[in-house]
Amino acid sequence: MVNQLVARDVCFAYANGPRVLHDVNLELARGELVSLVGPNGSGKSTLLRAIAGLVELDRGDVLLDGRPLRAASPRERALDVAVVPQFLPSLFDVRVEDFVLGGRYARIDRWVGPKSSDREAIESSLAACDAIECRGRAMSELSGGQRQRVVVARAVAQEAAVLLVDEPTTSLDPDHQVTIFELLARLASEGRIVLVVTHELNLAAQFSTALAVLHEGRLVARGSVDALMRREVLSSVYGERLHFGRTDDGCPFVVPRARLARRPQG
Amino acid sequence: MTVRTRVLSAPLWYGLLLTGLMAGSVMLGSSALAAGEVLEGSLAMLGLSEPLERSAQAIVELRVWRALCTLGVGASLALSGGLIQGLFRNALASPSLIGVTGGASLGAAFAILIVGGYAPRLVLESSVGLDALLVPLFSFVMALCTTALVAWIASARGRASVTTLLLVGIAVNMCVAGAFAAIQYLTLEEWEISRAILAWTFGTLDDRSGFHCLTVFGGLAVSTLAVPFVARELDLLKGGEEDAEALGVDVAATKRVALVAAALAASAAVAVAGQIAFVGLVVPHLLRLCGQHSYRQLLWHALPAGAAFLLGADVLQRWLFGAGALQPGVMMSVVGGPFFLFLLVRSRREVSTW
Repeated sequence: MVNQLVARDVCFAYANGPRVLHDVNLELARGELVSLVGPNGSGKSTLLRAIAGLVELDRGDVLLDGRPLRAASPRERALDVAVVPQFLPSLFDVRVEDFVLGGRYARIDRWVGPKSSDREAIESSLAACDAIECRGRAMSELSGGQRQRVVVARAVAQEAAVLLVDEPTTSLDPDHQVTIFELLARLASEGRIVLVVTHELNLAAQFSTALAVLHEGRLVARGSVDALMRREVLSSVYGERLHFGRTDDGCPFVVPRARLARRPQG
Repeated sequence: MTVRTRVLSAPLWYGLLLTGLMAGSVMLGSSALAAGEVLEGSLAMLGLSEPLERSAQAIVELRVWRALCTLGVGASLALSGGLIQGLFRNALASPSLIGVTGGASLGAAFAILIVGGYAPRLVLESSVGLDALLVPLFSFVMALCTTALVAWIASARGRASVTTLLLVGIAVNMCVAGAFAAIQYLTLEEWEISRAILAWTFGTLDDRSGFHCLTVFGGLAVSTLAVPFVARELDLLKGGEEDAEALGVDVAATKRVALVAAALAASAAVAVAGQIAFVGLVVPHLLRLCGQHSYRQLLWHALPAGAAFLLGADVLQRWLFGAGALQPGVMMSVVGGPFFLFLLVRSRREVSTW
């Protein structure tokens, strides 16, 4: 079990490109669900990939309980860190069970093959993600909501302590968006470290234990939802066209609003 | 239970099919042989029985080597095709993409030039002579060298993106084809040599010897050893390289092993039989049509299925058209083009953007 994930002085630039991440420092503790927010192109997905060890850092380290991740082989890394990617191909010839079995790759002996414990992990992670009804179907037959739950189920089947989730709610309807965030919150409360890249500030506000705000490759704020869902913090990142408020039960929310708000006539 | 029965019976069915095709292949020919003769002659080759009367024994041996070679070539091409399709994540990829076929052609042309008078049909007796060794050897080495060149140019810092690999493959194939065309043009006046080069490009399974068998099965054996190390990995690569890496796959190593194994199998096959198109492309496809979508199964099935496919096609055409039939390489090209188009049209319907 991993208690702490630390990104320390993370710097990264794509080959022959400008620097995308500038000295990012971020700490995550067991049981936390941190939403990484920021405008398009702020480097959120790149930071997620950097923390996942999928890009080679120019400087800095990602540490799991003090162990640098870059020293680990892909297989060792996958035992601790699971990624829920934003995009996957349609995978029209892959069955749901086989897809979720992919999450067990690092745990399955090449010469033995999947054991009953692996089959049980597939079942239980599909059940945990309310995706049992997807069994036996091809990935391409699933609806957007089902597919997203199956992709999360694969990461759950990986039994990694750290879950890195890239924009899990794009193309999902509001109800399914809530379902996914509920699931992620539950996974965090069970003792995982969950980092979610998202544009859904209001869902992030409801479900996260903390927010991290990235702007132009720099981490500009990290703190509680109440402290960060404020005009002073977010308008410097997202601009002025935001309306802030609180729901009946006191949860902060923000909606986009045109500068000269036009009310419908009549 | 049903699954277990199926797993057990698959080798049995493949075994029966291949044995039947082998028997048919040896019995068919300009002088027909009876089943008893074939059995006795084959046993004599293993030292288990008295040899037949001399000419009959020679015919049996020649046909047995031919049939074995065909099996090996079919299995190698199908395995190589499966590996390449997994590597390129594209069901329309084939071993010729990475320069195997082009390189082998050039190597064969060089060897023919060196020998200076080689033609496959003229060396019935000298099948262990220098010329019979030189052409497979050269085409094998050149095929591997061309693939290595493609991989080397395409890789930066030990990694090769699949798109770059594809584009470099196309470019290198052009260069190699250019050199091959130049040789063909320059030897146009020398009838024997240009005939031999041309004959090689048609692909031939006639006059094969134990040496040819050893080459193709040697390459096949080494490539097959790679399958357990790449099969699961190729399945996970369907989701993209980064996704596979996040799941714990050593993507660079997988690509390297799959590429080497594919090149080795295809090079050995092409070195022995010349250009035989289409087997590497179509056998994995037929297996997918039969429901084998996972590379964990597909790569193993490709071995017997490829062997049966090529030998079956060969037996069928010799049975239909007699001894004057087309070479399997030519026949495959004739049938292969339309089938490839069919696959393209079908895949366009499946995936609208492409």
